[in-house]
Amino acid sequence: MAQITEAAVRDAVREVLAQMQLAENKGAKSTPVSAFAPVDNSAAKMTLREVGPAKQGTEPNEVVVALAPAFGDKLKEQTITGIPHAKVLREILAGIEEEGCKGRVVRVKHTSDVAFAGNVGAKLAGSGIAIGIQSRGTSVIHQRDLFPLQNLELFPQAPVLDLETYRSIGRNAARYAKGETPDPVRQKNDQMARPKYQAIAAVLHIRETSFVDRSAKPVDLEVKFS
Amino acid sequence: MKVAGVDIGNSTTEVALAEVGAPGGVPNFLASSRMPTTGIKGTLANVPGVVRALETAVQQAGLALGDIDLVLLNEATPVIGDIAMETITETIITESSMIGHNPNSPGGLGIGVGVTHDISELETAPTDEAIIAVVPKTYDFTRAAQMLAAAIERGVDVTAAIVQGDDGVLIANRLPKKLPIVDEVKLIDQVPLGMLAAVEVADHGQSIQQLSNPYGIATLFKLTPQETTMIIPIAKALIGLRSAVVIRTPAGDVQTRHIPAGSLKLIGERRTVDAPMDSGADAIMDALAQAFPLKDVEGESGTNVGGMVARVRQTMSNMTKKPASEVHIRDVLAVDCLVPQRVSGGLAQEFSMENAVGLAAMVNTDKLLMEQLAEGLHKELGIKVQLGGVEANMAILGTLTTPGLDTPLAILDLGAGSTDAAILEKDRDVRSVHLAGAGDMVTLLIQRELDLPGGNETDVAEQIKRFPLVRVESLFHVRHEDNTVRFFEEPLDPKLFGRVALITPDGLSPIPTHHTLDRIREVRREAKRRVFVRNAMRALSAVAPAGNIREIQFVAVVGGSGLDFEVARMLTDQLAHYGTVIGTANIRGSLGPVNAVATGLVLSHARHQGAV
Repeated sequence: MAQITEAAVRDAVREVLAQMQLAENKGAKSTPVSAFAPVDNSAAKMTLREVGPAKQGTEPNEVVVALAPAFGDKLKEQTITGIPHAKVLREILAGIEEEGCKGRVVRVKHTSDVAFAGNVGAKLAGSGIAIGIQSRGTSVIHQRDLFPLQNLELFPQAPVLDLETYRSIGRNAARYAKGETPDPVRQKNDQMARPKYQAIAAVLHIRETSFVDRSAKPVDLEVKFS
Repeated sequence: MKVAGVDIGNSTTEVALAEVGAPGGVPNFLASSRMPTTGIKGTLANVPGVVRALETAVQQAGLALGDIDLVLLNEATPVIGDIAMETITETIITESSMIGHNPNSPGGLGIGVGVTHDISELETAPTDEAIIAVVPKTYDFTRAAQMLAAAIERGVDVTAAIVQGDDGVLIANRLPKKLPIVDEVKLIDQVPLGMLAAVEVADHGQSIQQLSNPYGIATLFKLTPQETTMIIPIAKALIGLRSAVVIRTPAGDVQTRHIPAGSLKLIGERRTVDAPMDSGADAIMDALAQAFPLKDVEGESGTNVGGMVARVRQTMSNMTKKPASEVHIRDVLAVDCLVPQRVSGGLAQEFSMENAVGLAAMVNTDKLLMEQLAEGLHKELGIKVQLGGVEANMAILGTLTTPGLDTPLAILDLGAGSTDAAILEKDRDVRSVHLAGAGDMVTLLIQRELDLPGGNETDVAEQIKRFPLVRVESLFHVRHEDNTVRFFEEPLDPKLFGRVALITPDGLSPIPTHHTLDRIREVRREAKRRVFVRNAMRALSAVAPAGNIREIQFVAVVGGSGLDFEVARMLTDQLAHYGTVIGTANIRGSLGPVNAVATGLVLSHARHQGAV
């Protein structure tokens, strides 16, 4: 039987408290409390700037990265295991670029569901291929003709995803866009990930969902890494 | 009286169930079934498979097992086959003198010559010599690009880079000038530093020109004519690649080594012929023709082929419980193939296509075993079990139920383990021949040449052998082998997206491999041609009057591999030159090429009864 460790419960509680505090402060800058081992993210900063409603892509080598509402500039700007979002996005875009494709970053605002975000992105992409990613790290490679809950490749266990995997996700998405037949990205499996992270994953999802604006359309983002 | 004819083959057990009425009457066939054979053909392990096949047949006919009055077993051709494969060449790189591989995405373009330096030394590198940067994975692509750009800015003549990570394009895109960059060099710490090297990257869809040309390398490294003769293997190993590195080390070399594969001693009834393995399959088959008819085969001890033959012998001896010395190999089929092998000493974990020889061998077993099997089956079922006639005669008898067939007739039985041929002419006995190598050999060739998962997972190769291919181009359309396109109203399973798939009876099934459709198709057809077509010709000329295939008018293909979707056409193509009509049999006008022997057993029994 999966046991929730005391530490995990404490983390979950801390997250909820942090959220309440966030709601109280309403925009006031709060110092995020890292739930897990702090990661050196000094060299991993990025700025995201909205540049207007997301356009329909036309270039056949364009792969869209569809960010869920809180990815990149909200919450703690890091995934469930503390990998900075900037590093994650950089690796994904690097994977796409290495294959000779073009990455375009789009913010999806009307849903926090990774599958729906990915599908929306795929429909906007010139190649019809997109990567959907949530702030906790869960990702999907999507194709525009698929139903939202289908996928080309799904990476459901955010805790086991590392930067190398994100690079591979970008690479594979680009290969699909080029009409190649990539081997699916190898994923680690950790049966302890579920008991260890389920509670905090749920909290993170709720927090991400709190940024959803049902009436907002996807917007194009300009990304600058520093 | 209800009679069941049972044919135990290498891979399937077939049953024909019939009501045999008045002596001499025509049997009324009730049902037929086809089940996988359990265990090795002709051993007691077959019993469960036979029982299962019988159960299926009686179920179809709405009967019970107890309703069967007599089970007829074929006097199975006492042959069993085994297959083995060994590579006979290997490529060895010494002193890390060469990296030749096809990373998915090398960066830049062109050719660069210089001395290898670690990227950390770039800051202090002299500006008067050409330099090739070696970039380990610890350097992030932006950082590596910055360091290279800074060095170029400073006037250092950086001509190329060798990169460990998959960062070739990323670095190339961030540099002020275009450099050839070879990436995904896994063992980069073994790249010798301070040595003269050349890096070449070709454009998309092209292969390198300079480094695959011995004089090209000689030009770059200013080699003497003597030294040029030494680098021919390097140039040869790099042909057809998109990127490569050649490093000039004092004793570096690339060798294509012939593994001492040994020779095969073919002991015929009249003469004995030695066939060296490394001269390839054709030489072995020529030697075999000289030694025909074959009594036994021996492999040179202490060599690959020795081990191979010993292994076949050992498997056979385990199965038949005879000492290995009494197991005689009665036929072999050798097939050349190219299999991917890891290059020893390669820094990028390169693969090269190496020559290999596949060998199918066939061994005679005891008739005694069949009697034991009949006994075992009788005990299990409580039904009378009889050994029927000779397999070849039975097969001909069964085949003759095909509409439009008449004697004189030759049949070609393409099974899983052996290829058999038999011929029936007016007023003559049936002549038959059993040859090693059939469906299983084709599967092995496909598996090895495409480097598919082996062992118990030969399933993929087996499926590739059986079903035609399509390429899924979008979720709504696929392209067939002949380039025709089929559209779908409903989207396909996303698992199929962009993949090469097989058209199976259960729908499309994706193949877990990165090979292109054309490559898979070529390997599949070539494997069938080298086994089925070659063996068909061997078998037919062995049974044909005076060894002349032209004398045979009609050939009917039976056996499980007769169900294959393209072999019959390949055979027609081949035999058309001889004016022979060849077609797939249709047993009892409805069963296709299977169940010939089982049907023949029942027919023979009915006819015999009449004679008594």
